[in-house]
Amino acid sequence: MKWLVKIIRNERRALERARRRFIRKPNEAHLHDVRTTGRRFRSLLEDVAALAPSERLLRRVKRAATATDAARDATIILQLLENSVEPSELPHAQPLLDELRKREKNATLRARKELRRMRFAP
Amino acid sequence: MKPQPVELGDATSVNEVIERVLETRLREVRDLTTGLRSRNQQGLHDFRIACKRLRYALERFEALDPSLESAAQRLAELQDALGEAHDRDGLLAILPSAMATTERRLRAEREASVDRAVAIWDDVRAVMEAVNSHRV
Repeated sequence: MKWLVKIIRNERRALERARRRFIRKPNEAHLHDVRTTGRRFRSLLEDVAALAPSERLLRRVKRAATATDAARDATIILQLLENSVEPSELPHAQPLLDELRKREKNATLRARKELRRMRFAP
Repeated sequence: MKPQPVELGDATSVNEVIERVLETRLREVRDLTTGLRSRNQQGLHDFRIACKRLRYALERFEALDPSLESAAQRLAELQDALGEAHDRDGLLAILPSAMATTERRLRAEREASVDRAVAIWDDVRAVMEAVNSHRV
């Protein structure tokens, strides 16, 4: 099925482009892109596994997702806490805000390091 | 949660592939609606992941079948609501106990997001039935 080969090739290239953008500039938007394209590609590989088995590639895509989980979690929780904290409770939130900022920075650097070692397309 | 395998061994056309993928992913979502009704964190998470798989399949195939577009759009809204509930669960798990007012607000927002997800799911179900009957 030619369309299937084409669709897999396109999504694979999209993930590789997103990975490279994140490596060049590891910010929140690029992290989001690499996670979204990775999830879409993973879902495609799982949907058509019976026609186009690609276990090794699928494992690599899952590893990429795992490598970015901590950075995404820290970013989302940090933004939510910043936006929802009751002003009178800010002193109680401050240690958690500091911790989340540190966690976000370190996790993003770790994700970049992990993703540098992976390639999804030539 | 592992996705259900799609039986495609003897599929010979693009249409057959689309139908079987969508059937399997929709069944997966339906099987997990108990998670939405129960409103607990794990049940909602599993339901959200299954919705995501169905949405990606719909978006992938909508270029080949534009009738899938409206279901994909409604599923995106459903995912937004479920995502908001999920993020609040994540923050509530680590929120300091001294932040009672913030906690109350987050819990109320979480419940409102789940209510919105329940309402959207009823719509998505109706749209998916229409897609199914159109494709058969």
